[in-house]
Amino acid sequence: MRPLLGLALLSSLLYSGEFEYKGYVGADTQAYLSKPDGKHPGNLTLQQQLELKYSEGDFEAALNLYAQEDSYDLYRDKAVHNDRSFIRLDELYGKYYFENDMLFGGRNIRFWGALEVNNIVDTFNTKDFRTDALDPQKQGAWNVAYTHYFENSELSVIVKLYEEKQEMAAYPYVYYFFPKQIPVAGVGLTDATYDANRESEESLYRPTVYLSYSGSTESDYPIDYALVLQHGFDSQRAFSTVVDPLARTTIFKERLYLANKVSTYNTMVVGSTLLKLEGLITDVIDDNVTSVRKRVADYYQFGLGVEHTLTGLIGDADLGLLAEYYYYDTFDHSDAIADDLALFQIFQNDLFLGFRYTFNDVADSSILAGAIVDWQYHEQSYTFKYETRFFDVLSVKADYAYINPSKTDPTAYALMGFNANDPLADPSPHQRVGLNLSYHF
Amino acid sequence: MVVNVWAISNYDLAKKSDAVMSGYEDAKAEMVMTLINANGQERQRTMKSMVLEKKGGDKSLMEFLTPADVKGTKFLSYEHADKDDDQWLYLPALKRVKRIASKNKSGSFMGSEFSYEDLTAFNIDKYNYSGDAEEVTVDGKKMYKSVRVPKSKNSGYTKQVAWVAPDTYLTMKVDYYDRKKELLKTATFSDYKKISGIWRIGKIEMVNHQNDKKTILVWKNETIKNGLTDKDFSKRVLKR
Repeated sequence: MRPLLGLALLSSLLYSGEFEYKGYVGADTQAYLSKPDGKHPGNLTLQQQLELKYSEGDFEAALNLYAQEDSYDLYRDKAVHNDRSFIRLDELYGKYYFENDMLFGGRNIRFWGALEVNNIVDTFNTKDFRTDALDPQKQGAWNVAYTHYFENSELSVIVKLYEEKQEMAAYPYVYYFFPKQIPVAGVGLTDATYDANRESEESLYRPTVYLSYSGSTESDYPIDYALVLQHGFDSQRAFSTVVDPLARTTIFKERLYLANKVSTYNTMVVGSTLLKLEGLITDVIDDNVTSVRKRVADYYQFGLGVEHTLTGLIGDADLGLLAEYYYYDTFDHSDAIADDLALFQIFQNDLFLGFRYTFNDVADSSILAGAIVDWQYHEQSYTFKYETRFFDVLSVKADYAYINPSKTDPTAYALMGFNANDPLADPSPHQRVGLNLSYHF
Repeated sequence: MVVNVWAISNYDLAKKSDAVMSGYEDAKAEMVMTLINANGQERQRTMKSMVLEKKGGDKSLMEFLTPADVKGTKFLSYEHADKDDDQWLYLPALKRVKRIASKNKSGSFMGSEFSYEDLTAFNIDKYNYSGDAEEVTVDGKKMYKSVRVPKSKNSGYTKQVAWVAPDTYLTMKVDYYDRKKELLKTATFSDYKKISGIWRIGKIEMVNHQNDKKTILVWKNETIKNGLTDKDFSKRVLKR
């Protein structure tokens, strides 16, 4: 409980201060209706977020902390711990605005993208899979930036100063993607674990440089556009395995490599319809093949989306119809190449169809529902989310998800559903119901 | 006090009403919105607003302060008389600026009885007018009763009937008729005050006759002619 108690104490002290603040305390719970043997049947997690802002003229500073405590981490028996309890610094920065320029220094979260379900180009921050792997949070990144504002556009130079870990919860958390045990030739079954420490031939402090240009057109069909050039560590991570035959363990580690990347994200307005495009091309610079690992190849990704809104169908409600398509491929398909499965890419050739029903009521209630069909590996996932608010301060989110993993290929969802007691069986489908209650202040 | 009882066309009356409210250049205010349901239960919403008066259509920025879970959400709008407005929403939890398709303006604003259309500044070019305004007496006071028809096919209304004070040309009440040509809502305007010689509205009470809900919108601490420019309404301000 230490992370939550610390953040709670800080929150109470700030009530007496003059800072602008906001945040929430909440409880997040899931019950897994179908899951592999041995994994937890559910989770109860306490969460707290606190954001402070200070402004003085053209100067602005902010602090953003997040903490959570999973009930399993409170057990004496360490075998059931899932390492989902932590406090995380998401933002700590200062900004200074000049007439047409801005200087930034610190740790923050940025958003790049246009699509609703999966933002291919949102590569600046690493994700934290200890929160909810079906909707992972982003963690802050240390960087400095300079932005020049034009009349309808802006140009930014951003230098990321450090490559963060991609944190993951431990087995037996249901969204631990690696199997508990892995067979290794000549060794037999080994205990498999994930080590978040990165492997890299470069220093983790090697800067990654981004040049971003974005703006809006003022035409009959207005467009919001953005182009990002990147040189440095790639956001896609490769995986290395280290086998210790004596200890009979296999350790998975993320491997960093350098790349040049061009990304773009755009939204065009045509009446009540938004047309969206995200895309990137990545030129991998220094990932070399060795005797024990495959090389990461140059790759490209794109996503196309349509969002059409129908209004006044029932009373004040709006219905947004959503369709999005995502594609990932490498430029080289030889055997020495780590393929998309080895890189844990989820969206290779996937179509999302769904809707957002906005009640436009006093509680800002909405329903988001849809299905994702993976045409490449024959997976399907279905989600339904309902959000509302009580008494203006209590937000309530309920969700249902069903994932039918690939029976033919070792996708991330298939590995997640691997049943250690019956290795030859098809991977378990995943089914859950979730409820989140949060008090906002 | 001299009351103007001369006949006036609906168009000329609208021009005069527009003129007495124009010339503020820009405005900053806090807004308190009280939502009252059919059972009398109340919910309050607070916002900060900024408006820049422009010939082709105003620019406005609204920041939500409550409820707490939407605190920091910002709504930026560029009005256009001849095409759809440009609109963006800033979602602070995601650090995301999201483009909004703004074709339909009849949707409810924050679950209130106001639509986005109701909250945009009155612009005479957005309506068709015909004939003369009617002279009527309301609670012993003479008023002009004027009819206007929205030009946009995306408007939520087929007709608006406005009651205008003949001495000040300030609008005191508007009846809104829905797409079925039935009376939907009535807005009552009050607490007008002159700031730097320009009339500004202080309170609007919007009653929905079809669902018996009511919303009261109050402007507080309003200032005008603050020297705001287009720069204060560019997309960059959404992330500040």
